[in-house]
Amino acid sequence: MIVLGIESSCDETSVSIINEEKILANLISSQDFHVNYGGVVPELSSRAHLQMVIPLLRKALSESNLTLKEIDIISATAGPGLIGALLVGLTFGKGLAYSLKKEFVPVNHIEGHIYSGFLMEEKPEFPYLCLVVSGGHTLLLLVKDFTTIYKLGSTIDDAAGEAFDKVSKMIGLGYPGGPKIQSEAERGNKNAIKFPIAQLKGKYDFSFSGVKTSVLRYLQQNYSDISNIPEDDIPDIAASFQYAVIKALSGKVEKAMKSNEIKSLSLVGGVAANRALRNSFEQLAKKYSNKLVIPDLQFCGDNAAMIAYRGCSLYKSGRRFQLSANAYPSLSQETFAKLVIPPAKRNK
Amino acid sequence: MFKKEIIVQTLAETAEAASEFANVIKKGSVITLTGNLGAGKTYFVKALCKKYNILNVSSPSFAIVNTYSGKEIVHHFDFYRIISVNELYDIGFEEYISDEEAVVFIEWAELFEEIIPKKRFQINIDFINDYKRKINIEERK
Repeated sequence: MIVLGIESSCDETSVSIINEEKILANLISSQDFHVNYGGVVPELSSRAHLQMVIPLLRKALSESNLTLKEIDIISATAGPGLIGALLVGLTFGKGLAYSLKKEFVPVNHIEGHIYSGFLMEEKPEFPYLCLVVSGGHTLLLLVKDFTTIYKLGSTIDDAAGEAFDKVSKMIGLGYPGGPKIQSEAERGNKNAIKFPIAQLKGKYDFSFSGVKTSVLRYLQQNYSDISNIPEDDIPDIAASFQYAVIKALSGKVEKAMKSNEIKSLSLVGGVAANRALRNSFEQLAKKYSNKLVIPDLQFCGDNAAMIAYRGCSLYKSGRRFQLSANAYPSLSQETFAKLVIPPAKRNK
Repeated sequence: MFKKEIIVQTLAETAEAASEFANVIKKGSVITLTGNLGAGKTYFVKALCKKYNILNVSSPSFAIVNTYSGKEIVHHFDFYRIISVNELYDIGFEEYISDEEAVVFIEWAELFEEIIPKKRFQINIDFINDYKRKINIEERK
């Protein structure tokens, strides 16, 4: 079964073609579409999605050695995201499906991330615990199968990736913050500064607004000009901040691992690219003898391969959709099944 | 013209101030929020939205805009990572802002003053010290 995936929920335009679990093409605008942005972060724009989607599709077809007619299913991200951006990919996908008389499958972007581990050779085994960490989301989920996902917790304020971006900007490293904080942190001492992590009422909830504020406080108290922090001090600040975030994430994950019967652990989303976070998950998986699945870097950030895969798994689960499917901006409360029956306790 | 200045020392006091302010605004209101990182802009919106039975408020810094629905529809903007005003036009800011059926909150609105309607409630949150914040609310026409 050949599936086309289209993703345009936020900054990236991406087009992918997969054959079941085999990836034939996965093109992402910031890497594969050579637009001269003059070295700056490109503007967020529906127009940019519009300009990129057709050239990316042509390139994906030629890389896969396929023609449009050979595609069986067309899937596109329907939400959550920016409506204007989503509509470009979704409408394009629907139009294509209508004209080619193919099945159309609208995909939830977050579900795309949740099942992105299946794009790897070593796949997650159900039930698995999944941490989705990106610029816009921080979610801890228990994934029962291809149709049932229980939400254990989420951020009550800022997403983990957002904290990286904001702190990066604060210490003069700029956007996007993840890779920049990571490379500074690798030269620094993570125990140099103690940045506090919020203790929350919700057992599995996260909060990253406090750590962001405490970094700002620290800078204001220790430097007369916070827009001009000595270069030598940056690695320790970056390492200590990164350590605080990772501790908060892995602390909640460990808590969930202790009280839920799971077969695997999966770390997905843009922040899953962070090496220190990946290491921390490797240790957790080892400690509780769980299989760990973290997608390759190309499947961590926003990409269409995960959309195509999710489209395929929905179709195989028997779900059928109308061409009237619309875009939606937010993750609705109903996306995840409520945790009604607590999963069995682990005997450990 | 509504005008108020409140000193708050705890999250609960901020929540109370936000909840009281909810009685002042209505469908079609635009509320801008300014204040440094960590001042509590998102928290103020979150606390206020509880009044509308909306419990899933989180920071829209990355998404640029979150839309929630409860007793009211709320568009929650954050201009923090916007580079150029064109991006706002492109994502349909004018449609959101003229939505008479929704309440619109905008964090970091001062970054693109030119696109903000004159008629609005302006909230400024200042740090006094680690625990104390001064919340200033002013209606503008």
